[in-house]
Formats: sequence, structure tokens, C-alpha cells
Amino acid sequence: MKRRSFLKSTIVASATGVAVSAGILSPNMALAEKHGNDPFKAKSVDEVLKMLGATDAEASDKIKIKAPEIAENGAVVPVTITSEIEGTTEIISISSKNPTPLAAKYTFGEGAAPSIKSRLKMGKSGDVIALVKAGDKFYTAKAGVKVTKGGCGG
Amino acid sequence: MAKSTIKLRTKDKGGKIQVKALITHPMHTGLVKDKKTGKKIPAQYITEVLVEANGKPVLTANWSGSISKNPFLSFKYAGKEGDKIKLSWKDNTGKSDSIEKTVGKK
Repeated sequence: MKRRSFLKSTIVASATGVAVSAGILSPNMALAEKHGNDPFKAKSVDEVLKMLGATDAEASDKIKIKAPEIAENGAVVPVTITSEIEGTTEIISISSKNPTPLAAKYTFGEGAAPSIKSRLKMGKSGDVIALVKAGDKFYTAKAGVKVTKGGCGG
Repeated sequence: MAKSTIKLRTKDKGGKIQVKALITHPMHTGLVKDKKTGKKIPAQYITEVLVEANGKPVLTANWSGSISKNPFLSFKYAGKEGDKIKLSWKDNTGKSDSIEKTVGKK
């Protein structure tokens, strides 16, 4: 597990490093190039937030996350996210420790209640982060989940 | 016809229609190794799920490999009996499936 993630991070770092040092790309551009600006391919929570433009998301207690405190099986973690914020159009769920943290983005149409129940995979213990978009603003909340058996092949 | 990959249930919950869906799909992240061959199982996961009621989209879900295998989805929307619900999904390999159902009828 450790060896694998170490290898991966070295590869990513060196590939980006080469492009940056070649002077062609600024660090940000290099990032965009690599993942094609697709937040679903981002490798860290910070990257996801940056790509979604949600770095200044406000913590809110109007977002309710229902997730088990201890998940026996990380491959199936039932998570319910409910937003009580008016004008909620999107709910985004992020599993912080996964290789690709962004799990899902739900866009609600007319008449849909901003509450969603689904099942996540979680590689290891970490936070489930909920991002809610209402109007032009992002709100966020998180809940910790302990995983005793990883669900990402670790 | 092959059996549908989607199980869809709808229920009237006092003015709101609850939609529950269970999709049969392996949801491979592309990171897991096959224990027998030692090779990585290629990524195959659902990227988009669209739920429409009477032709209007009520929920669009964009998913990544971080969603569990055989994904389950549940939500509510303001609707009534007789609404036509259509759920369709697409995965990253180009596969897709859809199902249509009328609320209140089995």
C-alpha cells in the first residue's frame, strides 16, 4: 500500500516537474494539461476544489451527512447527504482518501428534493466531504468514517 | 432480451415521489489487480446517470470510480402518481442502459 502510493506520487511529481522546468507550462497549466481539467480525475481534495472553483466553500450546519462512523467494508459505504440550504442545485460528494477523491456530482432538476442516498467506496479511513452548490456559492460539511477493510483494492 | 441492469422502484410519499434505483454494474476503478493474473482490471464505471420525470430531468448524477459496485441511488422529487420516470446510465466504455416506469404501477 505504502510503496504503491509512494511510487505513484513520485511519477506524478516528476512528470509535472519536467513540464514545469521546461518552462513551457506554468504549474497550474501543467495540472490542467494532465487531467484535462476534469475534476473527476483529480488526485487530491485540494485539486478537486480548485477545479470546481469551490476553494472558498463555507462550512455549513445545514448540510446533513448520514454515514456510518465505522464502516466494516470500505467497498460499500452507505452515505446520505441532505441539504437544507435554499436554492440547492448541486450536491457533490468527496471521499477524501481515495485515489480519485471526487465520487459523485448530483445536479437537481425542478422539483427534486436536495437529498441523495448512495453508496461510496472508501479506500481507507477518512472524511466524507459534502459540497453543496446553491446559487453561485459553495457550502461544505464533512463526516469522518473509519474503514476497517479498504474498498479500493489496497 | 437480456435482463435489465436497472431495478427501479417508485413510491408516493405524501406528495413526493421516492425513486430508488439499483444498477448492476462492476464499477471497476482501473486500479484493482486481478488476483489470478496479476494484471490490472481495466476501468469500467458509470459516468452519468440521468433521471427524467415526464421528459424533464430531475436528477443528473456524474459518477467516478469512487462509487461502489452495483450502485444504489435514492432521492425524492415533487411529483404524482402516473408520472413517467426514465432512468438511463452510461459508462466510460460506452455501454448504456435505460428503463422506464410509471409511478404507482408495478
